[in-house]
Amino acid sequence: MRATCFAKVVRSTLAFPLLMAPMLMGSAAMAAGTDGLALPEGFSATVVQEGQGAGRHLAVAANGDIYLASRDGLVAMRDKDGDGKADETTKFGDVQGTEVRLFKNWLYVSDNVGVYRYELKKGELAPTSAKQVVVDGFPMERQHADKTFALDTEGNVYVNVGAPSNSCQQKDRQEGSLGQNPCPILEKYGGVWVFPANKLNQKAADGRRFATGMRNAVAIEWNGPQNALFAVIHGRDSIDSLFPKLYNAEDNATRQAEEFHQITDGGDYGWPYTFFDTKLGHRVVAPEYGGDGKKTPDAGKYPDPLVAFPAHWAPNDLLFYAGKNFPAKYQGGAFIAFHGSWNRAPEPQAGYKVVFQPMKDGKPSGPYEVFADGFAGEMADNNPRNARYRPVGLAVGPDGSLYVSDSQKGRVWRIRYGAK
Amino acid sequence: MAILSGALALAGGVAFGQSPAADAPPGQKLYARHCLSCHQADGYGVPNMQPAIKGGTWVKGDAKALALFVLTGGFDSAGRKEGASHNVMPPFRQLSDDDLAGILSYIREKFGEGSPAVTPAVVAEARATLPPE
Repeated sequence: MRATCFAKVVRSTLAFPLLMAPMLMGSAAMAAGTDGLALPEGFSATVVQEGQGAGRHLAVAANGDIYLASRDGLVAMRDKDGDGKADETTKFGDVQGTEVRLFKNWLYVSDNVGVYRYELKKGELAPTSAKQVVVDGFPMERQHADKTFALDTEGNVYVNVGAPSNSCQQKDRQEGSLGQNPCPILEKYGGVWVFPANKLNQKAADGRRFATGMRNAVAIEWNGPQNALFAVIHGRDSIDSLFPKLYNAEDNATRQAEEFHQITDGGDYGWPYTFFDTKLGHRVVAPEYGGDGKKTPDAGKYPDPLVAFPAHWAPNDLLFYAGKNFPAKYQGGAFIAFHGSWNRAPEPQAGYKVVFQPMKDGKPSGPYEVFADGFAGEMADNNPRNARYRPVGLAVGPDGSLYVSDSQKGRVWRIRYGAK
Repeated sequence: MAILSGALALAGGVAFGQSPAADAPPGQKLYARHCLSCHQADGYGVPNMQPAIKGGTWVKGDAKALALFVLTGGFDSAGRKEGASHNVMPPFRQLSDDDLAGILSYIREKFGEGSPAVTPAVVAEARATLPPE
């Protein structure tokens, strides 16, 4: 297995702010063993596998077997000697999508139109059982179609149904077009729908809408100790080109937060009527709905985010750490994989990193920290296509290692703390 | 509720970018305002999201057809083939003939291997074929 360590320090001139670079330079463990990633002192990274398709989410079983959802299909990997590198790799099934989760002896997966499961029998790496349909019939869309989901401890599956829209304009992404009010897209999209995970052959319409006003919550996760659902939501694009009298390119690149919320039953998180403005530090009415750049919605109508992450970073996975390998400060905290921006152009792209958000009792307990960076590399021409890697998925192994997947080359890393 | 935006939320204020210089041609400035965030400064688009225009048949082909395409926007998503980009280009009918000619001339020169400029008259000719709004 090739495990390149890039000699050059991972200071990506375009992929993250200059002011962050000195901090990274000081704390990054750049010795052999990080695969060119910038990690906090004491952590190392091993390349598990690469090239099995554009990586999306991944899951690790209690026996250490790794399951990756990729654009080319499902991949199972086994490390037989514990060195972190996959010794056996096999593709299986016929599902090409984003999500993969383990629940008891079942492997739950999804594509753009449904959620499915395979029974995992003891000892087998790739499931030999037939695919079962848990729920299908979600409308086929091109935008925000990935049906990521979370499973609670009682056997319910919470499906993110992203809105195929930027801001529910009467004419999508057209300059000056006002918003539809009420937004009809919210009837079937832009929220989370819940289904019993053990019931087969359900249809999308059988689900119960659990929460709404979420443009696209790719990063969705059940927090077991808190017994609650959380998500980091992709915010809207293009405030400058759609409403140039109110916003300029720098505003568009920076102001619409990627919002981290606890998702409650019946909750409404404000899309498309509002967004959380990181410059003003409060929620504002979207320009399509009468916003003037600073007008606030009715007090208390929509919750503030737990954390307002920078615009366009593209949160694509969320994980609450409960493993035994990482130091105590990581316990109960959240890791978030940011796939990285495209809509910040012409401003420098940003994101392309894994962030750690300290949490206590389900609430943020301090500012977030960059945990893993250097994925994007120099990223020529400020274009995401030239990123070396883009982190997408997160999972924890039985020993507490953190696994990270990439969509550019299908690379998967195992990140551990300590000498071994 | 206090919002933690964190000490590291320094995404704004970076001193460099790809905004055109003050003396850049009007077509380049208009491209930056209306087109760049999707198709990017290098014209390669964003994989899976928006297609590349650099070197493509549209920018190198018939000027009137290109003008018509940008005036009417991308294809309806339901009719598109598997594997196409996620986002659909909106129509740019609100732009004047002069402005659209400037953008199209810029992308033909820069991304279309020096294909000839597009005149406002050609844009007007394409616009005349559109049904009323």
